[in-house]
Amino acid sequence: MADVGDEGNAVSEPLDLVRLLLDEVVLVKLRGDRELQGRLHAYDSHCNLVLGEVEETIFVVDEEDEDEEIKTVSRKSEMLFVRGDSVVLISPQSRS
Amino acid sequence: MSFFGFDTSRHNPTAAGFSQAHNPFAGLSNNDNEGDALEFEETYDGLGDQLDETDDAFNDDTFGGGDSSAPAPVGKDFDFFGQTAKVANVIEEEHVLFSRQQPAPRATQPVAQAPPQPSAATSSYNYAPQPSYKPARSGYEKYKEEPVGELQVDAALWGVAPKKHAAPAAPAQPAPATSAPPGRKMMSLEEIEAQMRAQAQKKPAQAAAPSPAPPPQVQQQQMHYDQGYHLQQPVQPVQPMQPQVLPQVLPQVLPQVLPQISHAQVKEPSYHPGHGHPVTILQRPQSKHTPPAQPAVQPALQPVVQQRPQPAAAPIQPTQILQNPNRLSGDAAKLGIPSHPTPPMMQPAQPAHPTHRSQGSFSRQPHMITHPSQLAQLSDEEKAAYLEQEAKRAKRNHKIFLMSRDNGLMTPQDKNFITRIQLQQLVSATGNPNEHGTDESLSEDFYYQVLTQIQGGQRQHPSQPLNNFAQTYLFQTGSRQGGMRRHNRGPENHMQRMEQQVQRAVEAAKNKPKNKQLVIEGSLGKISFSNAKTPKPLLNIKRTESTGEVNRPGSAHRVTQPVNGTDKKSALRSIEKVYTILMNMEDHDRTMPPPPANESDAEAVQNFIAWSNEAQLLNTKLWEALRIHDQTHHGNVHPFISFLSYGKGKKAMQRIFRHTTQEQRTTVLTLIVVNLDNLDVVRGAQVTNGDTRLDAAMRENVELFSVAVMSTLFNFMNELELDLVAGVLGIVCTRNVDVIARSRIGASMLTMILSRAEIIKHSQGGSEQSWRSWEITYTQFFNLLEPTLPHIFPGTVNTGEDIYVWQLLAAIGIGASPDQQQRLVLAVKDRVMDTVALAKTLPPDMAAQRLQNVNLFMRSIGLDVELLQ
Repeated sequence: MADVGDEGNAVSEPLDLVRLLLDEVVLVKLRGDRELQGRLHAYDSHCNLVLGEVEETIFVVDEEDEDEEIKTVSRKSEMLFVRGDSVVLISPQSRS
Repeated sequence: MSFFGFDTSRHNPTAAGFSQAHNPFAGLSNNDNEGDALEFEETYDGLGDQLDETDDAFNDDTFGGGDSSAPAPVGKDFDFFGQTAKVANVIEEEHVLFSRQQPAPRATQPVAQAPPQPSAATSSYNYAPQPSYKPARSGYEKYKEEPVGELQVDAALWGVAPKKHAAPAAPAQPAPATSAPPGRKMMSLEEIEAQMRAQAQKKPAQAAAPSPAPPPQVQQQQMHYDQGYHLQQPVQPVQPMQPQVLPQVLPQVLPQVLPQISHAQVKEPSYHPGHGHPVTILQRPQSKHTPPAQPAVQPALQPVVQQRPQPAAAPIQPTQILQNPNRLSGDAAKLGIPSHPTPPMMQPAQPAHPTHRSQGSFSRQPHMITHPSQLAQLSDEEKAAYLEQEAKRAKRNHKIFLMSRDNGLMTPQDKNFITRIQLQQLVSATGNPNEHGTDESLSEDFYYQVLTQIQGGQRQHPSQPLNNFAQTYLFQTGSRQGGMRRHNRGPENHMQRMEQQVQRAVEAAKNKPKNKQLVIEGSLGKISFSNAKTPKPLLNIKRTESTGEVNRPGSAHRVTQPVNGTDKKSALRSIEKVYTILMNMEDHDRTMPPPPANESDAEAVQNFIAWSNEAQLLNTKLWEALRIHDQTHHGNVHPFISFLSYGKGKKAMQRIFRHTTQEQRTTVLTLIVVNLDNLDVVRGAQVTNGDTRLDAAMRENVELFSVAVMSTLFNFMNELELDLVAGVLGIVCTRNVDVIARSRIGASMLTMILSRAEIIKHSQGGSEQSWRSWEITYTQFFNLLEPTLPHIFPGTVNTGEDIYVWQLLAAIGIGASPDQQQRLVLAVKDRVMDTVALAKTLPPDMAAQRLQNVNLFMRSIGLDVELLQ
């Protein structure tokens, strides 16, 4: 396609690295103490992401607890659209 | 008081906008600065009472004639405009201003103004000279300033404002002037205006006035009105004062006045409701109830009116009332402002109404008034019913008003214009139909374009899609309009016109030069077209071939990668590159020109050659990207094999095979077979007797591999000749057959190879020589595999996942010599017997399934499980 250069190998911008993660399982950190782990189906220049088979983990600090333990709440989604403005980090997930 | 944040102080009553007649007002404005409260009271006092009685009759007339206090929409209903125009344009303006001012003042006035005003009231009675007082106090001066045209908008504001005023006023009102003030309050600016109009209309209106009519007074009032509307305006403010004055006037009071008063009283209640202030309402009712008390006041009022030229003022209110009814019918309907029905009933509904407009409130009041007079004759029930009805109507009108507020903002021509612009945008965005399928349209709308291609040549006829589009659009538009508005003709004509426009727009788009730039003769520069799809380029940077050069570093980078070419990143990069090229190739395929019909068509031949060259170039690129020929470094996995270890790499196989030559495919197949025991899905998915459990990821991997890669290879293999098949099997023999056979993928691969040979045999294919080489290879293979045979079954008998093994065994057995078959049976005898035994313990259908699997193998060697049972 015309929108993609001939140079699949060229890394000219950070998102080119994200491209390498397409169809891979990635770890995405979000604002608000959330993490997503899922297969990266699509992304765009705003870091909007489409993830599949996602597990979302929310870290909650229970302030009532003296220890202030960090609890995690997680849930799974088959498919998720993540708006880019909340994405903090995208990282490849080590292959199991 | 400044409503809506207007600065009253800024008001210059004497502003040029106003006629000289306004001058009196200017004086008032000055007064205003001094003290608003005083002014209000003044307005409240005498005028209201007087006006109510006498004016009622006139009001009706005027209203009937048609009030147009506001030049704007309101004006339509009222004839005022014309009448006033006759009198003087200036007067009209004043009226407008006045009307605005009045409503608010009324509300506020009652509270505080009444007491101080007495003196003022007297003076105010002489409206002509003193008009200024009233306006200033009212604080509505701002309104005056506002242009007439704005009145409509203001009216809405007014509606709000009145409420505010009313609330504060309510408490005070009762105290100030018993019945009289309320009555005046009741009179809104609109009413006054109406009176004015009535005067303009003069006698006729009076005659029309249904309500009690103090004919003489009314006439006088009218006369006054005629003389100067200014006076009237001031009058309202003055009204508050009137009550006080009334006593003085009392002697003058005519018997006629009394009846009027009674009417006025009735009306008054209604007015309050109009204001929407509960308090006012309450007061009014009181006034009604207090009729006895009022009489006293009434006399006073009447006298006042009579005595002074002001009588006009007193009558004014009545006239206003009368007029108002008309207005109500007219204005209310237009404005959507519900006329205020009976005071008590109305109260709830009215509050909402006030918001509409001052005019609206006025109109309401009139209705109220007129009705009240009528109501007096009605029974309670009838009254109640009437009020209820009125309330409903008011509500509905209000709704309509709200909904239609912005009606007519755009003329049909405006709408047409906008629609045309939109259509042209759409058409240009859709682009020239002839351009569909080009790179540009593809990059703009890839998925749609591909989809339509897949769905078949619906776009064969260039203009068809556009027409469909246009018609759809038109149809929707038309139906919507038809639904919303019931103008039968309008929508259709509109639709037709639109249709034509669309067609024209489409034509225009077609005829539009395809170039993005147009050089007009004689012009110094180029004009570049822009549309929604291809915005006018502000920067025209040519992407030179050097861009490719710039990216070359990437490829140079790649050159270094093979050194550690197995690392993950480079594999991923390879995959992305492959995909990129694949997409380019697929895109290129879409642009394939029709093969030249004959040799003579030079251009077609040229195109085709060019296209073929490009395709060849892309193919080369793809081949490079696949790195098939990269050298494996010691201990490293071949790049292509690691390529296949990724899901997306596997998925690409099908597409790769579609865009490669037979030779290349063979190479790929060979490469895969050569590395068969290095494939992650083989090496990582070894079955052992005890544990066949693969983790989910590997299972998925295996599944994906068999779906994406194996099926592709299978299709390819089915076209291979025997010698190639034998060659492949020979390659397998050079690898670790044990490892290969103990994985599902490996076993399937073997099955595939063997069965292909068998199929060739059945079809009498293959040369004798090749068969001989096959035999040799097969024997070698069998010998290698034999020791592994007992261990290639996944899990225990119970798992039932061994069908692919039976398939492999069948493939082996069918091509085996009798001797080999015997060894084969011996190798797997235990498994066969176990499965048969297990089948006896299973439900019939499952047992049948298992036995059928075994039979795949048994039959291939001429046996049957039934022989074992």
